[in-house]
Amino acid sequence: MTVLSEHILEEIRDLPSKFPQPRSAVMPALDLAQEELGHLTPEAMTEVAHELQLDPGYVEGVATFYTLFHLAPTGKHRFYVCTNLSCMLRGADDVVARLKSEIGVHEPGEVSKDGLFSYEEVECLGACEYAPMCRVDHAYHYDLTPDSIARLVAERRNGGSAVAAPKKARAPRKRKADA
Amino acid sequence: MPELRGTVGGPVVTEWFGTQDLYKLDVYKQKGGYAALRKAMVDMKPVDITNEVKTSGLRGRGGAGFATGTKWGFINRDMPGPKYVVVNADESEPGTSKDRYIIENSPHMVLEGIMIAAYAVGANQAWVYIRGEYDEPYRMLTEAIAEARAAGYLGPKPMGIDFPLDIRLYRGHGAYICGEETALLESLEGKRAQPRSRPPFPAVKGAWGRPTLLNNVETLATVPWIVNHGGSEYAKRGTEKSPGTRLMSVSGNVKKPGVYEVELGQTFRHVIMELGGGPPDGRNVKVFWPGGSSAPVLPESMLDTHTDMEALAAARSMGGSGGVIVMDDSHCIIRAAHRLLKFYAHESCGKCTPCRVGGDWAVRTYERILANEGSQVELDILQRVSDALQNGRCLCGLGDSAGWVIDSTIRHFRSEYEDHALRHECNVGAVTALA
Ligand SMILES: Cc1cc2nc3c(=O)[nH]c(=O)nc-3n(C[C@H](O)[C@H](O)[C@H](O)COP(=O)(O)O)c2cc1C
Ligand code: SF4
Ligand code: FES
Repeated sequence: MTVLSEHILEEIRDLPSKFPQPRSAVMPALDLAQEELGHLTPEAMTEVAHELQLDPGYVEGVATFYTLFHLAPTGKHRFYVCTNLSCMLRGADDVVARLKSEIGVHEPGEVSKDGLFSYEEVECLGACEYAPMCRVDHAYHYDLTPDSIARLVAERRNGGSAVAAPKKARAPRKRKADA
Repeated sequence: MPELRGTVGGPVVTEWFGTQDLYKLDVYKQKGGYAALRKAMVDMKPVDITNEVKTSGLRGRGGAGFATGTKWGFINRDMPGPKYVVVNADESEPGTSKDRYIIENSPHMVLEGIMIAAYAVGANQAWVYIRGEYDEPYRMLTEAIAEARAAGYLGPKPMGIDFPLDIRLYRGHGAYICGEETALLESLEGKRAQPRSRPPFPAVKGAWGRPTLLNNVETLATVPWIVNHGGSEYAKRGTEKSPGTRLMSVSGNVKKPGVYEVELGQTFRHVIMELGGGPPDGRNVKVFWPGGSSAPVLPESMLDTHTDMEALAAARSMGGSGGVIVMDDSHCIIRAAHRLLKFYAHESCGKCTPCRVGGDWAVRTYERILANEGSQVELDILQRVSDALQNGRCLCGLGDSAGWVIDSTIRHFRSEYEDHALRHECNVGAVTALA
């Protein structure tokens, strides 16, 4: 019994042939695994390594290098709040403070009790003219204030899966069609 | 897409921006899109295209400002076997958002530039390395590529010419260092993104060991205009050594943050006070980063510095990524430097010791100063760390950049550093102790 479902493993097996060299498939494969499980468990990384005929230690070494791979559980909705300079100068710290109190966590990476939320303080997301800003559920949100980030939380708490579900499935499907 | 914040209908790259639905192929074509590709493939020889780009004087907009035509000329077009164009859409330099702005406004212009470049250097395949957080730009490029394929611009015989062309996307996963070109190539090959030593340069041994042309999104987006209008027409704009225009993303404490197309040679006073609308009422500009967080800072007294690369070098800074970060006088320079050092320390790939160790040292030192535990010792440490990071002691530019933040903020704001470290005072009245 594998932790990744058979159709994901199959997609992973298809990846190497899409690149000039098979090793390039490792990150797209980890994406698929993370998309299915929410985060990368040691078992998932081992299965990815197995499908790609790579050493599990190598795959883990790649996964730990990049901040968009999560090796611990995260909330269902992950807030990536930019706190770099342009956002900091326009109040990112207040936005983060409010977000923490709204979802009831004390530090980045901590998952809210209901499992719905976690947040990361991230480096510049390349939308500095709309500072402060964040990314959540594969979309950017601009000109944040403490109140507007509270609204983003409330929408997800009330709407629950309505907000997240369509977007969650979107990324890998596009990726597959494109690759 | 949200409301456009920046140039609509500027001189070159943004000429058509603001046109309803410009992202769609038929609208882009109506404006004159893909005429340059046709001209390049049907009427010109590859070497003529490269020469036209040389004539334009265009310099890379990714950060280093290398002459684009010269770089194209490094690729041996006749070498058998695969060659690649790799597009740097990693855009992670703090304060920089112009590549996102270009892609979201006109994805086909980026594709057209890529295709022209690929034809010129003899590459049948291009890869766009796009940062993983750019969901919307990724989606727009995906759709534009599908449209271009359906129209036959990508495929076995673009413009009826026997030169198969393909463009693929590759998503990054959150690491600033992937913007550095050799780290980007490592990442594309499925590895941890640690820069390679050069030589060999990517033009000789790049992606998957093959000759590779690596350019920034904006650099390539400028190419269709150059092919349409001619290199000498482009060179009439800007200054002699920094011809043309560039997109500057203006952010921070200004009333009208946005991405503006600026003719090189304009002053930062124009960019910040007019285009950016100046600081909030009752405030003054204190300092600005003229080319992303890696460009050494310039104080308010240097607002009349010109935007061309030579003027910036004379001011001991650089044009970098075109990201102009403005900070007003309600903010503390030590806190700003501390935030940026945290960034560089976090993003160090760990390959060279001064960068791996120095960044963390600097962050801890700033934290002592901000907690009112500073003394001359802390100032000396910052100077030593900054020296160790600069002048080729690190493999890539990230180390230098971290050093420049320390060095240039001390150079221009020495008394503020001394107030903080020696007298435990903050002259802007901000809270000095870290929250
Ligand atoms: C640490 C570091 C980060 C960089 N980040 C980027 C980036 O995000 N985008 C980019 O185009 N160039 C970036 N560069 C510059 C690239 O290495 C390279 O010079 C550039 O992409 C070449 O394209 P161009 O000649 O068209 O400018 C970075 C360089 C360094 C040292
Ligand atoms: S300077 Fe820093 S980021 Fe660049 S190669 Fe060395 S350790 Fe890595
Ligand atoms: S600094 Fe926050 S998006 Fe650039």
